[in-house]
Amino acid sequence: MRLQLSPEDIAFRDAARAWLLDNKPATRAPEDGSESRAFALDWLAKLYDGGWGGLAWPKDYGGQGLPPARLLLWYEEYVRARAPSTLDCSFVALNHAGPTLIACGTEAQKATHLPRILKGQSIWCQGFSEPGAGSDLASLRTTGRVEGDMLIVNGQKIWSSYADIADFQELLIRTEPGSKRHKGLSWVICDMSLPGITIRPIRNMAGATHFAEVFYDDVRIPLTQVVGGLHDGWTTAMTTLGFERRTAAMALQLDLSVQVEDLIDLARPTPGSAMAERLSDLRAEAAAIRAMTYRVALREPATPFDGSLVRLSFAELEQRIRRAAMDILGPAALVHSGRVADYLESYSETIAGGTAEIQRNIIGERILGLPREARP
Amino acid sequence: MTLDLTLTEELRQVLDAAQQMLDTHYPVSRLREGAADPMAPLAEFGTFLLGFPEDAGGAGLGRVEEAQLHSLLGRHLVSPSAVAVSIAARIALGAEDVDLALAIAGGEVAVCAGVTTPDGPLLIDAGGAAHAVLRDGATLSLVPLAGLATEDAPMMGHGRALARVTSALPAGPEALPEVALLHDLLVSAQLLGVAEAARDLAVDYARTREQFGRPIGAFQAIKHHGANMALGAEMLSAQLDMAALTLDARAPDAGFQVAALARLAPRIALENARLGIQVHGGIGFSAEADAQLYLKQAHLLRALLGPHDMLSFDAPMAPTGKAPS
Ligand SMILES: Cc1cc2nc3c(=O)[nH]c(=O)nc-3n(C[C@H](O)[C@H](O)[C@H](O)COP(=O)(O)OP(=O)(O)OC[C@H]3O[C@@H](n4cnc5c(N)ncnc54)[C@H](O)[C@@H]3O)c2cc1C
Repeated sequence: MRLQLSPEDIAFRDAARAWLLDNKPATRAPEDGSESRAFALDWLAKLYDGGWGGLAWPKDYGGQGLPPARLLLWYEEYVRARAPSTLDCSFVALNHAGPTLIACGTEAQKATHLPRILKGQSIWCQGFSEPGAGSDLASLRTTGRVEGDMLIVNGQKIWSSYADIADFQELLIRTEPGSKRHKGLSWVICDMSLPGITIRPIRNMAGATHFAEVFYDDVRIPLTQVVGGLHDGWTTAMTTLGFERRTAAMALQLDLSVQVEDLIDLARPTPGSAMAERLSDLRAEAAAIRAMTYRVALREPATPFDGSLVRLSFAELEQRIRRAAMDILGPAALVHSGRVADYLESYSETIAGGTAEIQRNIIGERILGLPREARP
Repeated sequence: MTLDLTLTEELRQVLDAAQQMLDTHYPVSRLREGAADPMAPLAEFGTFLLGFPEDAGGAGLGRVEEAQLHSLLGRHLVSPSAVAVSIAARIALGAEDVDLALAIAGGEVAVCAGVTTPDGPLLIDAGGAAHAVLRDGATLSLVPLAGLATEDAPMMGHGRALARVTSALPAGPEALPEVALLHDLLVSAQLLGVAEAARDLAVDYARTREQFGRPIGAFQAIKHHGANMALGAEMLSAQLDMAALTLDARAPDAGFQVAALARLAPRIALENARLGIQVHGGIGFSAEADAQLYLKQAHLLRALLGPHDMLSFDAPMAPTGKAPS
């Protein structure tokens, strides 16, 4: 075990710092809509043109295949420079759809999509959840009927983030008639401009329109758009790549440390005061989240559950940090602002992508080996 | 690799051997008999020379190795004398008393841990000790015990042997700043061991104890207690590595990392111990089961940590750029 930067590491870090400070946008990303899309794509293109695109992606697919240690250095500089949050409308493409295509896609699918994702030319969304299938994703009912070389899709998805501004959707549907639960599903690339798709944006509790309901009425998707095996979509959906597990949340986790520094600066607490104690706790916990991020990135061999403990710790700490900002601001927090938006948005951290309760079940059962609860 | 957190094969071997030694000489069941822990098996294993510089007769291993070893000691609820011996040898070395340092590390001169209280200094497992590593606020010093008057004091819930010093304590050499940091690193490492062992004991029990026809671990409330214990232990363990590595690298943020560690360690150990008792139900509250031992050990170790003003340090992640408008 060692943490000592080599001269090359330091040169890399310094170059990253300098580039980020010169190039990162001076303004906050627009809250939603086409402006937020343009902002995210511009930033991705700028990163790519500046030589900082696709750092985690493998070289064979246009990425730079940097080792996790370098990615840590990059993302530390990224969040310290206060570059745009990585959890924006580019997140699904870079951290989920793209890696899934790399793992399971055909050559044609990869050639079409991967370069466009890296260069900041397409936005993806995820269409997994349904009104009746949230935590219990395997109960999903949107169907795709095979007809010749087409899938005819009917049904409804919900909470699909950025569906209103996305070009493509990773869509999980039931393609084998009468199949149950994890069997008979397919993972499909859905072009969001196809006839038969209706999108109803939904405002969230922070007042922004980030997610949407999507309705499919006889939407015709060519079978060539199935990723992985037909009727084997659960396998595709559950495939995560090592680099993806290690890097997707890196910036978000490291950013907690920066957020706490920002709060200390905002509060300037009197030594010994209750607020000083509270900020001391937050500072220590954010440091520990950074240490956990280092561990997941830098310890071999990586295991499938490496990320699950840090992810939940991160989500709950982010909520405490954002809440502390409201307590520091006092009544001034009643007026909407960036900080208020960040606070309200943080409530999603323990819901989206698997609720805190579900994650505790997973930790209990898969990491600690406690008996499983009854399942359908 | 210059940034690498993989456990080396060498360290793995040291830890395996330590585990065997601890299973043989310090099974947790020994504490039911209430005898004081001998330091000899630990000394023979080389525990106290592990991190000693090679030119002073040690093995020259780093803080990371020493911290990992102490977390195993923590799992076995070894007497805080073990940390005291490790630190006493360093303080003696810092005071250029190499003979005393080697005598302490070799187990020939006994040392215990102590802490000042408003009612006078308390010594823990002091039987036969010639010196104490005394925690007095921010100060950590090595004080000679010869000729002092003491009286026995009952430890919380009648655990380990405590003695209160009733005469004036002489002054002794103080720990250098880096030795004081190492002390809190090792105490925190032991607190991690306590947190992990409390978790493991609770999880084992939850797998086997049945109520309503099922192992209690199948009930979500119990499962989630287990998950919370796992979350706390993982957080602490990652921060322990970070603190040890920055100390080894003499990095500018070492003080910050140890302060964060020392803030988290007692809180997490106490919480895991509390949950461990809860998961056991009635037997958890009994003195005949081990769950309660972890709680008392967490209190004991917590008392040995120094104060750290977490907000006084420069942060390693201080922003470089301005917040976007
Ligand atoms: C901001 C945001 C963005 C999202 N983006 C997307 C997206 O892009 N694409 C997409 O497909 N989905 C998305 N989702 C949906 C998200 O994945 C689901 O909300 C989540 O999986 C929970 O499902 P649900 O909302 O139906 O809640 P439910 O599953 O109905 O859960 C309700 C409550 O019951 C609890 N619960 C349920 N089952 C159990 C159990 N077995 N044990 C204990 N407690 C249980 C939950 O923890 C929760 O507290 C997003 C959600 C949010 C909030």
